[in-house]
Amino acid sequence: MTDAMIRLEHVSKSFPGSATPAVADLSMEVPEGEIVVLVGPSGCGKTTTLKMINRIIEPTSGDIWVAGVNATATEPHLLRRKIGYVIQQTGLFPHRTIAQNIATVPRLLGWDPAKIDDRVDELIDLVGLETDMADRYPAELSGGQQQRVGVARALAADPPVLLMDEPFGAVDPIVRTRLQVELLSLQARVNKTIVFVTHDIDEAIQLGDRVAILNVGGVLEQMGPPEDILREPASDFVAEFLGTDRGLKRLSLIPIHAVDLDPGPVVTPGTSLQDARTMAARYEVDWVGVGMDGTLLGWLYLSEVESLGRVPEHDLRPFRSRLTTSATLKEALNAIVSTRAKVAAVFDGDRYLGMLTAGRISDEITQ
Amino acid sequence: MILAQLEGQPIVDWDWVFGHLDDIWAATSEHLLLTGIALGVGLVISLALSLLALRYRKTYTPITWVTGILYTIPSLALFSILVPITGLSVLTAEIGLVSYTLLILIRNIVAGIDGVDPAVKEAAVGMGYTRRRVLLQIEFPLAFPVIIAGIRIASVTTIGLVTVAALIGKGGLGFFILQGLRRFFTTEIMVGAVMSVVLAVVIDSLLLLIQRALTPWARAKATL
Repeated sequence: MTDAMIRLEHVSKSFPGSATPAVADLSMEVPEGEIVVLVGPSGCGKTTTLKMINRIIEPTSGDIWVAGVNATATEPHLLRRKIGYVIQQTGLFPHRTIAQNIATVPRLLGWDPAKIDDRVDELIDLVGLETDMADRYPAELSGGQQQRVGVARALAADPPVLLMDEPFGAVDPIVRTRLQVELLSLQARVNKTIVFVTHDIDEAIQLGDRVAILNVGGVLEQMGPPEDILREPASDFVAEFLGTDRGLKRLSLIPIHAVDLDPGPVVTPGTSLQDARTMAARYEVDWVGVGMDGTLLGWLYLSEVESLGRVPEHDLRPFRSRLTTSATLKEALNAIVSTRAKVAAVFDGDRYLGMLTAGRISDEITQ
Repeated sequence: MILAQLEGQPIVDWDWVFGHLDDIWAATSEHLLLTGIALGVGLVISLALSLLALRYRKTYTPITWVTGILYTIPSLALFSILVPITGLSVLTAEIGLVSYTLLILIRNIVAGIDGVDPAVKEAAVGMGYTRRRVLLQIEFPLAFPVIIAGIRIASVTTIGLVTVAALIGKGGLGFFILQGLRRFFTTEIMVGAVMSVVLAVVIDSLLLLIQRALTPWARAKATL
């Protein structure tokens, strides 16, 4: 537990004129290299908690440790230069170019100008912006591009810790999804300790190595890996906050390669009607898949085999959704309910790996 | 009677104009100098009072109240009140001129800085800017278009008011207007009036150009 990058010890915050504290006696640890998402309804103190870490908001009591240093006993502006900070409205400096914005903290730290230039180029590339944007002003960029600049600026001086306050809350859903995917692939490369605030439980589940669910008044209801929280909510509040589609949410966390696939009712072309019937009966279905040598050609109803006498090689119904092993069980379930054969066929390129049924998926999450 | 005296006289006697180019140049220079001093001193005082108002919010109302009263005193009356104290001097003229710039400048400086996006300030603080750096490197540059707008209004107002200071003998181009009125000589009135208008337009345009040159970002718009 000593390797926690951020540690909150009995932290409380009461705002003047408010009878109840915004955060009451909160203790939590953020392990190095993990994304911890603080999530909860309005008034749960998630943003207050985040802002106490870089002392935009001063805690009323308690201690906060960042990278082994007592944050509450450090000069605030020096502490903040070691903590990347990304906010929803981006807060880019409108009067400075993209390159100058990204160079903000390195300049505060007095880096050599040539080193700053190199670092800016590196970051523009890292967050997926075009090099020719360097000399533009923030107002000339789209919302999604501005948010990427915000992330680049926060990473500029390579701080060990990144604080992100609803960074994707103001962009449209398509851009948000893309930024979320980008953040995860970025994190795989930079490996920062990230505290991320959102009110969106789906975003929390998708991004968090751990999710901390806060209740009104800064009460920590449950903290842990999203799979654990979805499987075993610690309280009624957590269960309610997770929503009635908790099972589906769990499915979105499990990749297909984590479960065993079934070979399925598959026969080779030329198989007799009798053998086809036996195969279909074993799976309690009224159809058979047709495949050979690791490929899956398609499927047809037993009634169609009956009229032909044998399993044909051509004129088969195709499996429309071809899933790969990196797809999630949620996507598999979607494929199952979208096809008449009611199975999801999984492929690695052209190679057929096996099938998933609704029953198999249900077993997986109720085991 | 006045009409009778003006009869037969051209509105502008060009021979007089060409014969007095040196005087016109000297009066124009004096006009510019009086305006420049008034704006310079006014800006320094306004910046100081604005910083006070921004730091201690409670002072903003009294500051605008006092400068507002100064702004509403008729200029003729103000100069008349000051003459017994400070005499027929540049100081008298400047006290009056500076007084009139304060309200405009303070309002624009405070409004400009208040208008800076709070998210930008929060980001600056969050990245380790000290309060002083936020003011100098973020708030002032971003408030600059609004501050310059204030300086433009103040300069045009001041250029007009300088002519009134001719009454105490420190009026730049106002001297010609006063002299022309006394002698019923329209050429001098026209020279004084036209030149001060020209001065106002030139100074205003110059300030606008400066603002555009220094704030290229203010015109940057999404090209998408």
